[in-house]
Amino acid sequence: MRQWWPYYAMMAPGLLFFFVWHYVPIWEAKMAFEQVRIIPPNIWVGLKNFQTLFSSPLFYQVLANTLIISGMKILFVFPVPIIVALLLNEIRSGKFRGMIQSAIYLPHFLSWVVIAGVFIALLSPTDGAVNQIQTAMGFAPINYMTNTGTIRWVLVISEIWRSAGWDSLLYLAAIFAIDPQLYEAAELDGASRWQKIRHVTIPGIVPTIATLFILNMGMFLSADLNQVVNMQNAVNASTIDILDTYVYRMGLFTGEYALATAAGLFKAVIGMALVLISHFISKRLTGKGVW
Amino acid sequence: MASFSRRTPLERVEYVLIVSTLLLLVVFTLHPLLNLLALSFTEPSKVAGFSGLSIIPDGFSTDVWALLLQHPNVQRGLFNSIWMTATSVCLGVFGTALMAWGMSRPGLPGRRLIFIMVLVTIVFEPGIIPDYFLMKRMGLLNTPWSVIMYKVISAWYLIILIRFFEEIPKELLEAAELDGANPFQTFFLVVLPLAKPALATIALFYLVLHWNEFFRSMIYLNDQTKWPLQVVLRQFVIEGDKVAIVGAHNVANNTAIAQINIRALKAGMIFITILPILAIYPLILKFFTKGTMSGALKG
Repeated sequence: MRQWWPYYAMMAPGLLFFFVWHYVPIWEAKMAFEQVRIIPPNIWVGLKNFQTLFSSPLFYQVLANTLIISGMKILFVFPVPIIVALLLNEIRSGKFRGMIQSAIYLPHFLSWVVIAGVFIALLSPTDGAVNQIQTAMGFAPINYMTNTGTIRWVLVISEIWRSAGWDSLLYLAAIFAIDPQLYEAAELDGASRWQKIRHVTIPGIVPTIATLFILNMGMFLSADLNQVVNMQNAVNASTIDILDTYVYRMGLFTGEYALATAAGLFKAVIGMALVLISHFISKRLTGKGVW
Repeated sequence: MASFSRRTPLERVEYVLIVSTLLLLVVFTLHPLLNLLALSFTEPSKVAGFSGLSIIPDGFSTDVWALLLQHPNVQRGLFNSIWMTATSVCLGVFGTALMAWGMSRPGLPGRRLIFIMVLVTIVFEPGIIPDYFLMKRMGLLNTPWSVIMYKVISAWYLIILIRFFEEIPKELLEAAELDGANPFQTFFLVVLPLAKPALATIALFYLVLHWNEFFRSMIYLNDQTKWPLQVVLRQFVIEGDKVAIVGAHNVANNTAIAQINIRALKAGMIFITILPILAIYPLILKFFTKGTMSGALKG
């Protein structure tokens, strides 16, 4: 044991960090089971806060919004990087491919504040590029940011803008790992480009697709707080109010600390269960876990 | 692979389609940014008529940039962002390396338990309200430390570094021990120099993470003078608060500054915020791409 003490000494700051910033909040979360009083101590009320939460129509609306937005993202955002990777793989000139890649990876490194700013400008009804094209084609301009019918699509499209390029990198890595002999054999058999994609490339990346899909399912209740906080406004709020923004607003603006903590805990527990289940399935299916 | 000339006509049409789809994606990605960049350099009198489609400034003026860079809110934001990011990155890289080094040693008693403890933090986050109360209880609300300390060690990057340290050849470490180095000396004189590329990658990861952080600054820092650039940007671009940037004095006196179109100011502000990311982008591409390609799903 004596030989190990230098290592523990070196790990101490890190261990302390994890304890304070990640474990103490778990203890703080007991507030979800309490009635918060101005003059401490709080009173233990068991599951009463959760009952209040589950009997509130607003909670269900927020839950529904979260599920709809996550569902839309799985349906419309998830496949895009796979397609991008397949297309990139067809570019034979490494230099040209590199140029395309360095352009489309960029938005991944921008904050959601910046991206929201970019999209507000892009979608402006008077001088945004989208509405200018639209009016030139004879359609009436639409204020996409304040239209409850379009704002969820703004979330989907801006997510594609941000992540489609970068996420394709994982699939591209999987494609590059495919045995080149498989392609040579397919070519000898006279396979066309499309046949090679269908019979060699896609089967080669199915495990990666499965793992990432399952992981995405694990994040189902986390419809990206940072994105929504920046794209939300008074008009569109009801359609894109998600669990995270609900917790944030109720806790820090309305002052319903216990209820907000209960809602946050609900999300955390379901989220954890989903991640663990997806990890388990992923390991079963592909032999590859996340950790 | 067949050369272009030997391809069938169908394959050539396919190739053209593939290239054009990708170029369309490049345009979709870059156009909105180039449009804003051009807008920020457009002459103030021509901003009102500047098309959302154009990527070339109409006339050329640096008024917007001069105004923004001289503005106290922007200067303070820039200053706060730089020192807060620099502090977080230094603490983060050093703390992560120290902890990863211990955790990478086979046979360390309690290694598995510590691993599980770290993994739990990835899967389970109790939420922002308990975090907020912890900050409050520790008296860190409205201090930059509530923001700096929060993600100073990331469990993901810790795991990446542990993997890297595990692959350091045992012979090297044994040789250092034979030379009489204690574990501290081994770490500082052998391990850290060896880990330079890995540490650089982690540092870039942290840099992007902390530079882009806005949520905690927004909820923890009431005092505007402590705001990093992202929050200043947010107040201005998302909430459209022109007075905050131009200054009530200038708006009231209707000076030339007040004439500068808010659109152009927003565009310039966005670019000031992403300038550091753009500046290190070549480095990011080099390190991140390599790391992601080799680590793919294991990290």
